[in-house]
Amino acid sequence: MFRAILYSQWKWSRLIVVLGTVAGFALPILSVQGAAGTDRGPLPVGDLLRAVQAWGTLYPVLAGVLGLLVAIVTWAPDHRGRHVHALSLPLPRWRYVLLRFGAGAVLLAAPILAVLVGALLATGSATIPPGLQGYPLALGVRFALAVLVAYAVFFAVSAGTARTAGIILGLIGSVILVQILANVANIELHLFDGLQIAVLNWPGPLAIFTGRWMLIDV
Amino acid sequence: MFDQLDPRSPTPLYAQIANRLRVAIAAGELQPTAALPSVRQLATKLRVNPATVVQAYRDLEAEGFVEMRQGAGTFVREVPPQTRARERASQAAALVRKLLAEAGRLGVSLQELQAAIAEEIGVGTS
Amino acid sequence: MNGAIEIQQLYYRAGKTFEIKNLDLHVARGSIYGFLGPNGSGKTTTIRLVLGLLRPLAGRVTVLGRDILREAPRVLEHVGYVPEQPHLDPTLTVRETLRFQAAFYTTWDWPCAEQLIRQFELDERGTFGRLSKGQKGKVMTLLALAQRPELLVLDEPTDGLDPVVRRQMLSALLDYVSQRQATVFISSHLVHELERICDWIGVMDNGRLVIELPMERFKNGIKRLRVAGAPPGIASPPFALLAREHQNGALETWIVREWEPEMAEYFETIGASLHDVIDLDLEEGFVELLRTFRRPRS
Repeated sequence: MFRAILYSQWKWSRLIVVLGTVAGFALPILSVQGAAGTDRGPLPVGDLLRAVQAWGTLYPVLAGVLGLLVAIVTWAPDHRGRHVHALSLPLPRWRYVLLRFGAGAVLLAAPILAVLVGALLATGSATIPPGLQGYPLALGVRFALAVLVAYAVFFAVSAGTARTAGIILGLIGSVILVQILANVANIELHLFDGLQIAVLNWPGPLAIFTGRWMLIDV
Repeated sequence: MFDQLDPRSPTPLYAQIANRLRVAIAAGELQPTAALPSVRQLATKLRVNPATVVQAYRDLEAEGFVEMRQGAGTFVREVPPQTRARERASQAAALVRKLLAEAGRLGVSLQELQAAIAEEIGVGTS
Repeated sequence: MNGAIEIQQLYYRAGKTFEIKNLDLHVARGSIYGFLGPNGSGKTTTIRLVLGLLRPLAGRVTVLGRDILREAPRVLEHVGYVPEQPHLDPTLTVRETLRFQAAFYTTWDWPCAEQLIRQFELDERGTFGRLSKGQKGKVMTLLALAQRPELLVLDEPTDGLDPVVRRQMLSALLDYVSQRQATVFISSHLVHELERICDWIGVMDNGRLVIELPMERFKNGIKRLRVAGAPPGIASPPFALLAREHQNGALETWIVREWEPEMAEYFETIGASLHDVIDLDLEEGFVELLRTFRRPRS
């Protein structure tokens, strides 16, 4: 049964997983470009750290996007068919949900491994200035956790009725939109700050997204 | 063979099927030891309930026209000439009943009917 | 409780007006039960309640001897369902759809599935979402049959399909039923189709089961009578009088149930004459039945 579900989920999320894998592999490597190569000698520490940090902001974004998209794609066909097919299958609902969750998690292993491999390659091939260290494993593990947390959250949201899922995702979308408009209009509005503090810094899984994502650090 | 099957007729479908087969057997259309289609084949072909076919076959078996052999199928039996004659007679009677009923509905009198029959028979043999 | 489907005192509500009340329904094992009723009468809702897709507010639904709400997965293993609307993943091909379904049923029969693909003339590599309505119907029927279920539940499976496709589907269905003692519960508008294949009939109207009886009794029992000279009030006739209508002239049209030929004598006893007994086919009988049940009782 798991294989059947995995196959159908792979078919729906092929593109996302492949693109995510490519992006995951590229990120760490791009973040140390310039530091690679022995002929030019190591980059000044400041430049390197700034580059790594700048690229580092993309990891949580990639993790969030992957988690969101894979979760949505997992449930979209079921919602479209009003869950009739799933409910007419001879297995308990909780088992079905668990199989779907597992299938998505297995598919997300690819981008996670890509980040890990890319990070190992990046730190391996780059000339790291003395005083700094590479943390490929830590980065890889952190990325893995972030992806799974995002996936779990959005999976739970999507598993609800299509209406509930739509409402919640719609709310998130509109808050983001309002914040963007406020920024454009230069209005002092810090919706996200408050929300961020409440949601992201609260000791809990979502805190994994905050802070700096440093492949190479002191 | 079964193109006249009419689900709307008051005659139940199993009776219609049995009738048609009875006529075929009595007229020699179906020879003794010939195999009738299996219940499955006939039900699927006619798009009727298999139970309907089973009942038709059972009725025919009770009347002595066929023999249902477990696992092998249903086969036409040798029908004695008296039975065949009886069957032909009953079919003829049914035809006449229909004719009379129709004539009655159309307002055709008995004499007019008899005259027409004689005419048609004369035409047929000349 | 040995029926294939047993519904007892079912109560269900949706919205302000739609209600299924006091529903008692019984489908015997091995029978082909036709479920008739106009649009909106609650047929699809009843079917969903039977499969555990909806929860009733009161009453009990037993399928293949088990309470559907408590043991749905076990029951559904032996139930083949063909819904009204295609419910399958539109992005999978026919072959992938079959493989998906096969993974969930231990009774799945691949040779049967392959044979039905050929019989239905389906292209395995076609994407489900792009198939025509008829082809989708055939695929869903195929899935239900290849599962070798004990009970088949079909919700208007041939609705909107052309006659060729309808014949193919019904033939395959009957072929399966001939091989196995399977029970079929089929709802349809196409009364003529059901007339050939069903041995039981249940008529639903406005959330209630109006009548449930063997097909032959239903068909033979309802007649249209042409009567002349009957007095306005008649006491306890031997048949069930559903309706009396005056035609122009002296003749009245009576719709009766549970008619037997001997009852013709009754008319002499009330000083009337019976001019004609007209058989109603299933569709006409169904229409007359509903007409009389909807009329406020006088």
